Amino acid sequence: MSSARRNQTKRSLEPFSALSVGGAVVLMLAVLSGAVLALRPVERRDSTQFWTFTRMHAAIYEPAIERWNAERPGQKLEMTVFSIPALERRTMSSFLARTAMAELLEVDRTIAQRTFGGPLEDIGFVDLTDRLAAEGLLDAINPPSFSAWTSRGRIFGIPHDVHPVMLAYRADLVEAAGIDLSHVETWDDFFAAMRPLMTDADGDGEPDRYLLNFWETHVESIETLLLQAGGGFFDAQGRPIIASDANARALAKLASWIGGPTRVAGDAPDFTASGNALKLNGYVASCLMPDWMCDIFQKEIPQLSGKLKLMPLPAFERGGRRTSVWGGSMLGISRTAADVEQCWQAAKHLYLSPELARQLYEDGDIISPVRSNWSDPIYDSPDPYFCGQAKGRMYIELADDIPPRPSSPFTLLARARVQEALMATAQRARVEPAPSIAELEAEARSRLAAADRAVRAAMARNRFHAQVLETSP
Amino acid sequence: MRPRSTTLAAWSLLAPFLLLFIVFTAYPIVRSLVLSTQQTFGPGTTVFVGTSNYRAIFDDPLFYKALLNTSIFTAGSVFIQLPLSLGLAMLLNRPDIRGRAFFRVIFFAPSLVGLVFVAMIFSLLLEKRTGLVNQVLHSWTGFPLDFPWMQQYAMGALIVAALWMYVGFNMVYFLAALQNVSPELDEAAQIDGAGPWQRFLNVTLPAIAPVGGFVVLLSIIGSFQLFELPWIMFQGPGYDNRALTVVMYLFQAGFEVGDLGYASAVGWILALILIGAALVQRAASRSHA
Repeated sequence: MSSARRNQTKRSLEPFSALSVGGAVVLMLAVLSGAVLALRPVERRDSTQFWTFTRMHAAIYEPAIERWNAERPGQKLEMTVFSIPALERRTMSSFLARTAMAELLEVDRTIAQRTFGGPLEDIGFVDLTDRLAAEGLLDAINPPSFSAWTSRGRIFGIPHDVHPVMLAYRADLVEAAGIDLSHVETWDDFFAAMRPLMTDADGDGEPDRYLLNFWETHVESIETLLLQAGGGFFDAQGRPIIASDANARALAKLASWIGGPTRVAGDAPDFTASGNALKLNGYVASCLMPDWMCDIFQKEIPQLSGKLKLMPLPAFERGGRRTSVWGGSMLGISRTAADVEQCWQAAKHLYLSPELARQLYEDGDIISPVRSNWSDPIYDSPDPYFCGQAKGRMYIELADDIPPRPSSPFTLLARARVQEALMATAQRARVEPAPSIAELEAEARSRLAAADRAVRAAMARNRFHAQVLETSP
Repeated sequence: MRPRSTTLAAWSLLAPFLLLFIVFTAYPIVRSLVLSTQQTFGPGTTVFVGTSNYRAIFDDPLFYKALLNTSIFTAGSVFIQLPLSLGLAMLLNRPDIRGRAFFRVIFFAPSLVGLVFVAMIFSLLLEKRTGLVNQVLHSWTGFPLDFPWMQQYAMGALIVAALWMYVGFNMVYFLAALQNVSPELDEAAQIDGAGPWQRFLNVTLPAIAPVGGFVVLLSIIGSFQLFELPWIMFQGPGYDNRALTVVMYLFQAGFEVGDLGYASAVGWILALILIGAALVQRAASRSHA
């Protein structure tokens, strides 16, 4: 280096001489750590990543993953469990930023629907429709179970479950009161038969027990019951059907259950300690029970063992549907997956095997959506928690009849608006003098029409969903 | 003229801050402004929509409900919580009080607990049927066990929960300000015949006004950013959206519906409200000075 050049460098560094020793150390550390971070090689994974959101599911998959890894040493599968919010954030961030993520994703309905907002080619999951059709899986898997994972006629996930809903009632209380539920067909029959249980033991003028666990704050139950009644939020094409007759009739009935002189339902919220205490104390004599909830009850309220029995849901009208659907998850393949074929094989290995179906029922009381698995005798085993009933077989007998739940990115909005409609109708039911069911139905109809308009307005702003509004049913 | 080497060194020293500021502050601000003029359709598609997001917000009755709820909470913070904080601070500032440090810790302690914990405690306390409040009222007065406090008085429940948490926190600011009020001035006013109320109005209040203004501004900003407390207490916007706040409305639009453009527009409206509050506070403190 020439002396002129050296002098120039020295001059350019002169201002740094004002730095104290500490300052110089901090500066040096900053430069060094920055350089290390910048130069550190990015770790490359040679395994297929699989994200799921419950420990119960993960425990079931572990042996299957071990088997897969032993049989295919070059196609290692690695599973990570996240909480639902964490999985939701990571999935959506990755889809938004188009960055790499897990190749296989097990997600619930809320996450899946949120990814369906844009054009089909932008959905972050691989379209599995043709693969499912080519391998005969569209018939092998219970058909209504695909509806939640379908957008504009294309399927983006393998269903994990069926989740039929039954009614669990307090057999100990019912039998002690000499009530016979064998002839119950409709909700009206059920409440009439159970009425003797709605007593006011402490004499405060209010019943100490209600006949059903249902309230206007139970958003999932509202949707479940509307679907059972033949209503719901969207039709198969994604058009809102919120203002349908079936919804209006059902909503009026639900409002009459929670408000006014015909009130039969009480609020014992699910998944809370206080709600569990109320269920245990017999504050509510029955509750909606999807298959997965059986496992939750057994773990959270073991004291109810031998006190509950299951029956098909009473219908809204004679000859009506005796079940509904609640919850669900799917396994999808991320579009960023390098080897979609390998992921497809892994997905089938995880979701479709008879061993896994058996495990799913043993550990989580969940019915497999694969129809050929339904002949497994495990579903006939009596469950002491439910007074020895073979609940697996009872759920399977209802599985064919679960209502489809067409998927839409506007489901959360629709759900919130319908809940508001129920709140308003229930308020009307609580006003004196008590309105007739016809008056409640008129109120429900008007509230649902407003809800329908709000959802349509939101859809009209989305150019990929607005066009379905112009098509006729 | 500044030597070139000095300029180079200055830029070198500024570079880390500038880089972080540009990447994490300036760019997101500009990007969110651009985003507020776009609509996001699902994860990967955005379309320019001009002021449509802003118009849609102002057409949405739910936004006004969120704004009203947030304003009620803010009013509760400013007009209930802060006077109580000041009252507690004045009590603890009395020269004859013993164990001042102990009480200061006791009153300050709830703010160390954390929002999630406070939300859980209050949701359990106010639960209908099994909640402590209804149980106690029922056993004393026959009050209905099923009275739904959190449904009927969502904002009231939030104000009470926030009061318990923050009253001691704000008290510390007021206590520090009160300890700087000149005792000579107070004594002079007392000699001149001023009563306690007059001394408070004419001596104490003007002396602590700068701190008071600052605490009011912090309180308004914090209240308008209310999110975690109702989100955990009510598991969402609550019955009939009675606990819906502006930030929750933003969160729902951006992260539940997936319309980040709409959420950005809500964010800018919120920012303008807060900037307005800051300007008003500044003008008020200048006119006072």
